[in-house]
Amino acid sequence: MSSRPIFSRYADLVLLAILLALVPAIAADSPYYLRIATLAVVYMGWTVAFNLIFGHTKQLFLCLGALAGSAAYVTAVLSQQLQLSPWITIPIGVSAAAGLGVLFSYVAVLRGLGVIFLGIVTLAFSLIFQNLVLGLRQFTNGETGLVTRTQDLTLLDHPVASYYLFIVLLALALFVYCSVMASRMGIAFRALSDDEQTAELSGIDVTTCKIIAAALGSTVIGLFGALYGFYNGIISPNLFSFVSIDIPVLISLLLGGMRTRLGPIIGAALFAVIEEFVRPFGELNVLVYGVLLIVLFVAFREGLVVMLRKALGLSIP
Amino acid sequence: MTATLFDGIVQGLQLSLLAVGITLIFGLGGVLNLAHGQFAVIGGVAAKLLLNWGVHPVLAGIGGIIAAGLFGLLVDRSLLVPAYRYRGEERLLLGLILTLGLSFVIDGYLNYALPEFSLMLSLPIPAVQVATIPMRTAGLATSLIAMMVFLALFLFLRRTLLGKTIRSIIENEIGAELCGIDPSRTRTIIVGLAAMMAGLAGIAQGLFSSLGTEMGPEFTILGLLVAVVGGVRSINGTLVAGVFLGIINAFASRYVGAYVAFIILLSVAMVTILLRPTGLLARFT
Repeated sequence: MSSRPIFSRYADLVLLAILLALVPAIAADSPYYLRIATLAVVYMGWTVAFNLIFGHTKQLFLCLGALAGSAAYVTAVLSQQLQLSPWITIPIGVSAAAGLGVLFSYVAVLRGLGVIFLGIVTLAFSLIFQNLVLGLRQFTNGETGLVTRTQDLTLLDHPVASYYLFIVLLALALFVYCSVMASRMGIAFRALSDDEQTAELSGIDVTTCKIIAAALGSTVIGLFGALYGFYNGIISPNLFSFVSIDIPVLISLLLGGMRTRLGPIIGAALFAVIEEFVRPFGELNVLVYGVLLIVLFVAFREGLVVMLRKALGLSIP
Repeated sequence: MTATLFDGIVQGLQLSLLAVGITLIFGLGGVLNLAHGQFAVIGGVAAKLLLNWGVHPVLAGIGGIIAAGLFGLLVDRSLLVPAYRYRGEERLLLGLILTLGLSFVIDGYLNYALPEFSLMLSLPIPAVQVATIPMRTAGLATSLIAMMVFLALFLFLRRTLLGKTIRSIIENEIGAELCGIDPSRTRTIIVGLAAMMAGLAGIAQGLFSSLGTEMGPEFTILGLLVAVVGGVRSINGTLVAGVFLGIINAFASRYVGAYVAFIILLSVAMVTILLRPTGLLARFT
């Protein structure tokens, strides 16, 4: 595997980059489709991060929306209250999200919390975040939302430019993911996701692995969250709610395939398409959403990437 | 002060009713039911439909509980069958997703079909004096029913053969199977029972204030919190955790605002999980 030239090892990512880069050429006339494509790229970034946290190190973080939201709100509130440039506040917001992710991961390892317990603790944090945003009305403007337009980030006012910005961020996230998985840490992750105890017994530092995965994942989540806040122009608790971020990301990851490189990308893209089909159902869309979730998951339980691997005999990473 | 405490206990018992179902289904079936709050809503909706047909309120309540139970049986026999084919973490994950999908289906349909729905039941005597403290009969009645249900559940689990079977499956599913117990039949009974208790909690909500179709996710989350604080495999723990969180919620809502109260409730739940990951009563069960 490692003796193959770099290009053929990452040919899938080059192909993906070309495909994604061509999207604005097709969708540029319609701001609506371009926006959907941009949102899909944002969700791809979140799903890649969640794959690292949940797929590889089995830490069920049910607070993706809250982490992304913390980054977005810290960034926006600091730049408005202290008149700071976003170039200073974005790193602060992202570090806040990363810090929270590390804290949850550390506490969970320290207390030996299982998958469900960590899930519930982080779910409780999601709700705490929502209520904090609603309660701290003087800073966050409550349910109405906070306008995030700023003179310092004019790039994000331009739809095509913001699309490419998020593509660059996604490439960055995938680069981090690939370099981690190609390193010794990646081997440790694979061992850990097979059997944690055996991994620990064979000398792998499970604690450090989990914390590093959570730190990297939360940083990516925070980065996408903060910039998504600026891109969207307004941030509200609803934008970062459990239903609008955690559930789509979870479905995308399971649909595409956990512990695969392309799974999160394919899953998030497919989810964006499904969401478009569901939109005309109006009020019944939640129901269609649920039926799709059940049917897709019973039919493609291991995810599309694994299914395609078996069906076509290809080695899709 | 005493009135707040009483309110907390009443709310807590209602939470425990919801959470015990989650605990039982998790302990027995290895599935964390994310549609449990929706079972409660279904019980309430069925009771309301019966009331609209002119059925006597008590019978309508019983009908609602039975409807929730039947729905639970149906879910266990259809939706959860693919999940039961696996064991351990696979089953947990599949069960999580399937019940999440189910909760969307129920929420989506009910919010669409019954947008103006609300279940409000009232008792003939609104309040009584107990030792100089005015108490709402609704609260007294729901707590009494909840306590009776818990007593019956304990006796059922301790004394009857089926109850012992259930406890043995909670201890070790494969071991129980080797002793000639059929886990799938027992599981179906328990899912039905758990759904009936959820239905009762939903109707109690209608008795206490009002029940809407949009309350499912809130019930599910509160039930999950209580179940986890109680230690997801212990029934006594769940009962204690429900009352504990109910009292904290009542005092917090009385003395600080609603947002802060909810934050306090969640923080207490988080800290309890961190301090005692195996549940409040881990050592005693």
